[in-house]
Amino acid sequence: MSDQVTLTIDGKTVTVPKGTLIVEAAKQIEQEIPVFCYHGKLSQVGMCRMCLVEVGTPMFDRATREPVLDENGVQKIGFFPKPMTACTTPVSEGMVVKVDSGAALDDRKAVLEFLLTSHPLDCPVCDKGGECPLQDLTMKHGSGISRFNYEEKQHFPKKYPLGDLIVLDMERCVICTRCIRFQSEIAHDPVLAIENRGRHAHIVSYSDPPFDSHYSGNATDVCPVGALTTKDFRFGARSWEMKNVPSICNHCGVGCNTVLGTRKGGSGTGQLKRVMPRQNETVNELWICDKGRFGHHFNESPNRLTTPLIRQDGQLVESTWADVLPFIGEKISSIKSANGSTALGGIAGARLSNEDLYLFQKLFRQIIGSNNIDHRVGLNANFEDTTAYTVGVGVGTDLSQVGKGSTILVIGSDLDQEAPILYIRVAGASVKRSAHVINIGGRRTKLDAQAQTSAYYQYGTASYLVLGILASVVAQGLVNQEWIDRHATGFSEITKLLQDFAPDSVADTTGVSSAEIEAIAKSYAEAENGIIIFGHEAGNDPALGAAIEALAAVTGHAGKPNNGVIAVLPHANSRGAADMGVVPNRLLGYLPLEGEAGLSAEQMLSGNSIKGMIIAGADPASESDTYRECLQNLDFLVVQDLFLTETAQLADVVLPAKAVAERDGTFTNLERRVQTFDVGIDSPLLAWSDWLILAAIAGQLGADWGYASADGVMAEITQEVPLYQNMAFENLVAPVSLDRQTDHYIYEGMSFTADVHEGIQWATVAENEQQKITLQLVVPENHTGSDEITLVTPRILYDGGRLLAETDVVQSHVFQTRALLSSVDAKKLGLNNGDSVTISQNGTAVNLPIQISRMLNEGTILIPRNIEGRPAERLVGSSDVHASVKVKKS
Amino acid sequence: MSKVLDRHLIFRHRDIENIQNIDTYIKDDGYSALKKALKEMKPVDVTNEVKSAGLRGRGGAGFPAGVKWSFIPKDIFPKYVVVNADESEPGTFKDREIMEKNPHLLLEGIALCAYAVGASASYIYGRGEFLSTFRPLQQAIDDAYKHGFLGENILGSGFSLDIRLHLGAGAYICGEETALLNSLEGLMGQPRNRPPFPAVAGLYAKPTVINNVETLSGVPYIILNGIDAYRKYGTDRSPGTKIFSLSGRVNRPGNYELPLGTPLRHLVEECGGGVIDGKQVKGILPSGAASSIMGGDKLDTHLDYESMVEAGSMLGSGSVIILDETINGVWAAKKNIDFFRHESCGKCSPCREGTHWLKSVYTKIVDGHGTKQDVDMLGTIIGQMEGNCFCPLGEFVVPGVRTSLGLYMDEYLEMVAGNEEASQPQKDLIHTFF
Ligand SMILES: Cc1cc2nc3c(=O)[nH]c(=O)nc-3n(C[C@H](O)[C@H](O)[C@H](O)COP(=O)(O)O)c2cc1C
Ligand code: SF4
Ligand code: SF4
Ligand code: SF4
Ligand code: FES
Repeated sequence: MSDQVTLTIDGKTVTVPKGTLIVEAAKQIEQEIPVFCYHGKLSQVGMCRMCLVEVGTPMFDRATREPVLDENGVQKIGFFPKPMTACTTPVSEGMVVKVDSGAALDDRKAVLEFLLTSHPLDCPVCDKGGECPLQDLTMKHGSGISRFNYEEKQHFPKKYPLGDLIVLDMERCVICTRCIRFQSEIAHDPVLAIENRGRHAHIVSYSDPPFDSHYSGNATDVCPVGALTTKDFRFGARSWEMKNVPSICNHCGVGCNTVLGTRKGGSGTGQLKRVMPRQNETVNELWICDKGRFGHHFNESPNRLTTPLIRQDGQLVESTWADVLPFIGEKISSIKSANGSTALGGIAGARLSNEDLYLFQKLFRQIIGSNNIDHRVGLNANFEDTTAYTVGVGVGTDLSQVGKGSTILVIGSDLDQEAPILYIRVAGASVKRSAHVINIGGRRTKLDAQAQTSAYYQYGTASYLVLGILASVVAQGLVNQEWIDRHATGFSEITKLLQDFAPDSVADTTGVSSAEIEAIAKSYAEAENGIIIFGHEAGNDPALGAAIEALAAVTGHAGKPNNGVIAVLPHANSRGAADMGVVPNRLLGYLPLEGEAGLSAEQMLSGNSIKGMIIAGADPASESDTYRECLQNLDFLVVQDLFLTETAQLADVVLPAKAVAERDGTFTNLERRVQTFDVGIDSPLLAWSDWLILAAIAGQLGADWGYASADGVMAEITQEVPLYQNMAFENLVAPVSLDRQTDHYIYEGMSFTADVHEGIQWATVAENEQQKITLQLVVPENHTGSDEITLVTPRILYDGGRLLAETDVVQSHVFQTRALLSSVDAKKLGLNNGDSVTISQNGTAVNLPIQISRMLNEGTILIPRNIEGRPAERLVGSSDVHASVKVKKS
Repeated sequence: MSKVLDRHLIFRHRDIENIQNIDTYIKDDGYSALKKALKEMKPVDVTNEVKSAGLRGRGGAGFPAGVKWSFIPKDIFPKYVVVNADESEPGTFKDREIMEKNPHLLLEGIALCAYAVGASASYIYGRGEFLSTFRPLQQAIDDAYKHGFLGENILGSGFSLDIRLHLGAGAYICGEETALLNSLEGLMGQPRNRPPFPAVAGLYAKPTVINNVETLSGVPYIILNGIDAYRKYGTDRSPGTKIFSLSGRVNRPGNYELPLGTPLRHLVEECGGGVIDGKQVKGILPSGAASSIMGGDKLDTHLDYESMVEAGSMLGSGSVIILDETINGVWAAKKNIDFFRHESCGKCSPCREGTHWLKSVYTKIVDGHGTKQDVDMLGTIIGQMEGNCFCPLGEFVVPGVRTSLGLYMDEYLEMVAGNEEASQPQKDLIHTFF
């Protein structure tokens, strides 16, 4: 039997794959079937009854199974006695569907009339007004008058807080359960439900705290009416008043595509009213996380730097660009002539755009003559990921398509916290599409509930574990020799080293049994597609990256779509910073550095050879006291930033930079997809884009770069960096229409359309037939188990970061400084929730209240990074992930 | 009361005292059908016997039980037998009497069904109010375990069965089989989409037989006495006996077990002792609130599935409610609507909103403020619900209102007489705005 089915919808013939729902088949011929409860990404419930259509199928004689023919010899169509829901009924061969027939139109009108009998029709004051499926469908299919004039419409509180971020107006709800299904099926936070029945039914959140989810904003997007609104945008603007500007989220490396809803205010400055998702099936589908949605208030913060500052008599005072730029030029030149160019160094945060980062390295390498540059401060200070360069996920990878037959190995990352939308996609691959997801970590994480397999290693032994998996792949004869021959060298050398890492030998060290290791090896190696996602809780031992690279290569899981490695790096453009060579030991585009490597951020900030620095978009002073002292002792420090950060407070000159929403540029996401963002709103009057600041400084040092725009900088990057040769803005930006389209949002929700370019991925070595990967392994650092308690310091979504601190609505979600302790340890130490403990390591001690956690294994205590007071960094050092500590009741 | 039955098939407690006592039950050939099946019959034989006997579902739809059992796939495990003891249809109170007075009959029926389909676990789902009913039933289950009729390796046959009782929270919709399954699983009591049907993916997505208490209680007699003995009762297409719960304006309301095909008049006049004060029958609701109301002239209709449909109504679960001249037809229809408005689960728009709207209109009419337009509105609303609801509950609303409008239109008109449709108040827009 063919896999295609042909049917007729309102006289038009359409052929679709078997199993397609009528509503989807109709979309293909642009026959709109109105829906409320149906959503393509959610399970089908068929409850709103809006999509009723007449359905008929070819008639067969019951006894003979022969077609029943009419007088013209044409097979008769038997129509079902009742209308069918197009959202739950799959097509079948020869089916005849009537959408715009009299009966179906009547049913639609009837259902709308029913819905409106309990709907307040307060469109004039409803945030959804103007982009509301109920409003649009009523205009199109509803009757013009209301016959429900019997009594008051139903009453519920108009402003019920479902959580801190989401407000429910139950009077507007049409009980479609899209929000409930989104939370349980996509977010895997089943925190919403219906309480009571009939017309008393209403939406409740039963988690504590209420609506406990990183994805709650998306529930408002899938809501087909104005029942769910975000506290943030409520009564903020009418949809038609806003200008919609395509952007990229700047909060993590997933690179979710967004739309900035901006409005010109009375003063003429554009205001950012809301951040909405923009559909990109290969990156974020229809979703963004709550940090991305709500964390934009820093833009309009009164604490923004608005003008250059210069230090006079020990105080930073307001100045002008005309005054500070020549001063910077003089100081840099004089340090260079007095102490040599290696006395100068720079740190550029990985939140800067590719254009900024490119010019940053160009300024240092070409104009100043120093390799002392880095983008890695704190957490990933010693870690350089080059797996992306060699075996990164293949061009065309789309996690929303990964399913049965694929294995995804997640190592040392709490995706729900570090890269939320990546979590949604990996969890979806497992739950919705039956990919084999293996979650390996030092502790339990949310993904365990969706993963088919979980394994837990002792912190610090992830590299042993990966070597063990690799050894087992080789021992089980599961290597892809043909792939190795074509794409790699050095296989026989690594097999020798692997003999020391047989599953048996690493089982004790890692705490993962050899049987588990062998099963993981088998599932990954034998999968049709294999993806490895690793994060910072796997540690920053160089042995890890090397082992992961080899594992992907010897199994042939690289160089093609839906195969390869993703490193979960910390910032929005960590990938781009590595691509642009903002590291001391190699050049841009992963080209080797001839001559001596420069100093890393860690080295610059802990020695005394550096006299002058430029720090752009990074705040090392807040990370450690050592860094702070070092910065205090510099002869000259220039800081460019949005805020007067702790580092900026130590500077001689502070330069106001533009935020992402105020400028254009590109970011490269975790999957190496280069994506552009546009200017959405005006910046503080005197702020400049970082690239422009850097060009101006170069100008003071005698360079004549002459860039007029970020676009122009990218044009040069395409020349200088072969990997970026296709990344000219005109290639990245396709015609964008961000106009609201009813036929999109009634089906997909409030996410903006996909009518935009999806970014371009650069190709890895594995995809390049001219290049080979040199397989090499590194012997891991010695791991000494400890009897003490292990402190682990993960990154979390709602940390104490500066950008989030300016968003009031999320403050109650921001992690309150405390430590999490396993219940076993708490019992041993005689501790209860809220008791205070002293945690000490090598002479540093911090006092914190504890919270007992069921998610932790015995022997672990957890303090997130980057929270108020930075207790985690003080204990483990800013670049480590875990440490042995002593814990006692204080 | 005339005797049309030589013996009761289901209400055996009316023939034999204390049959809820397991020893008494055994003495009356109790559990012999189970012994016979386990010793002499293959599971498929049991199904075939029930099929040939023509036993039809007593929960409302009248679907042949044996046919339903034969849909259960052989090769998927585990399978479940779920007993529908929700009994929430207004006017139905038969399952309760079986469970309280002749509980072992039900248990034996369940065991036979489980043996036939290969299930080793069964749940009896009762409405929340059945606390006092479930106590004797639990006692009976405990006794059956003690005697080896339930539990591991029943009577040495290798067949095992556990039966558990579960009380719902009291919702009419939980009598609908898929809502029942949701409720049993701890989910919200709302019906599921079909397909998949419970026979394929029911409780915990496993193959599941769902039968009414009375249906299963009919099985032991068939297995023990054979098809012909069973078919001695009832009609060809509606064989066997059926319990009718008679209520309303009759002298002797109560449960009556009668052969299917018995005339309605016999039930009302002989069993029920006629209408109170000798009044005329004005209307008959033969299947509770979900009924198409039959006029008093339909008393000679025979109580079997086919005849009732022919007469424009249905047999349903056999809850016969009698209205007499003292009952106002509009008021009676409103009672039903109040019930549906209260019980609508709220899943789908036509039923959730439609029942509420109907209630508003009925309230207005019954309160004396209705107009002719309101009466017309009733017809429009049910027209908009018909065929558009997610499950039968919403569809059940339609026939009652429709037949009530047909039979008692004069009463409706009387109630609204003299009330003029209020013309829309003219809003003085200019005045409002300035
Ligand atoms: C709204 C609604 C309520 C129902 N209530 C009951 C009930 O209380 N008891 C019952 O046995 N069946 C009830 N049914 C019928 C069941 O869905 C199902 O058909 C029956 O349990 C099947 O068993 P049977 O074939 O033995 O009758 C109800 C159906 C609907 C739609
Ligand atoms: S709140 Fe919105 S999404 Fe949720 S059930 Fe109501 S209408 Fe649907
Ligand atoms: S997942 Fe990351 S990129 Fe996406 S919205 Fe959240 S913070 Fe932004
Ligand atoms: S018709 Fe709809 S609202 Fe009514 S009970 Fe069935 S599913 Fe619930
Ligand atoms: S029933 Fe089909 S869209 Fe709601």
